[in-house]
Amino acid sequence: MPFDVKAMGDETAQREPVEKVIELRLPSRLGYERVAMDTASALARRMGFHTDRVESLKTAIGEAVTNAIEHGNQHDAATKVVVMLTAREAELIVQVADQGRKPLDQECTTRQPQIAERLERDDKGGWGIWLIRELMDEVEFSTAPSGGNQVRMVIHLER
Amino acid sequence: MSTSASAQMSIELSLPSELGYEVIARDAIAAFARRLGLAPERIEDLKTALCEACINAIEHGNLLKPELRVQVHCRVEAERLVIEVLDQGVSPFAPRGEPLSIIEKVSGLGSLRGMGLLLISQLCDEAGFVSRSGAGNCFRLAFQRQAIGGAHC
Repeated sequence: MPFDVKAMGDETAQREPVEKVIELRLPSRLGYERVAMDTASALARRMGFHTDRVESLKTAIGEAVTNAIEHGNQHDAATKVVVMLTAREAELIVQVADQGRKPLDQECTTRQPQIAERLERDDKGGWGIWLIRELMDEVEFSTAPSGGNQVRMVIHLER
Repeated sequence: MSTSASAQMSIELSLPSELGYEVIARDAIAAFARRLGLAPERIEDLKTALCEACINAIEHGNLLKPELRVQVHCRVEAERLVIEVLDQGVSPFAPRGEPLSIIEKVSGLGSLRGMGLLLISQLCDEAGFVSRSGAGNCFRLAFQRQAIGGAHC
């Protein structure tokens, strides 16, 4: 990724990394996570990520968008999921935001899932956040001022 | 499909105005088209046409200024998939008379460049610039959906 050289002050010039931002707005409907996965995959390949890291990224973003559709937006077709992809020289930042029809229980974002407990659930689900944490290098959950749930994930580019 | 249902099934993508990013738009919208059940060969047409439209927006509409943006809006209508590529219109599109055909260009009667719009018109069911309220060009591509089987929005 190229650098922009910006003049800072009189004679000094500081090299600042260029950020390239891609924004994607999706309907809150299951299946549309594939659009986010393929968009992120195209960007990650362009940045030079290895295939296995691209697959990890796709899984993580798929889980995050699915959570946003199912839980945050409660499948409400009038709501959108916003995905922001920020490409930096050595990392890709993925932010997924919903409109907060249901706030995320913050305890869910840190608790280690128990296999026996999860298998008792009808859908055998509840692994998404754990998976995201396993696959990405940095993960942070927060609430937007508007009340929406947000997750910020970072994957580092190892050359 | 009602207008509100169509609006709900729309997707919007915003990209840096830099050559190479058309590939991101291509892969994003191809995933959307696959989900709609568009036939694989039509998706290949869509990918080529959309890349050409994005390159035009980056190169001509935005004059390769990397601080500008290209927007891709995609909506589902009852019979069509409609994609609009919007630039910030540093250079508004101005038609320059009747263009040479691809055959004429390949025969050496003109530059081999400038075939994007011709190519797009061959690949889409509808293509062309449409007027928009704000500044900038809006190029619309549409694909018929009648051959879609088992599609879900």
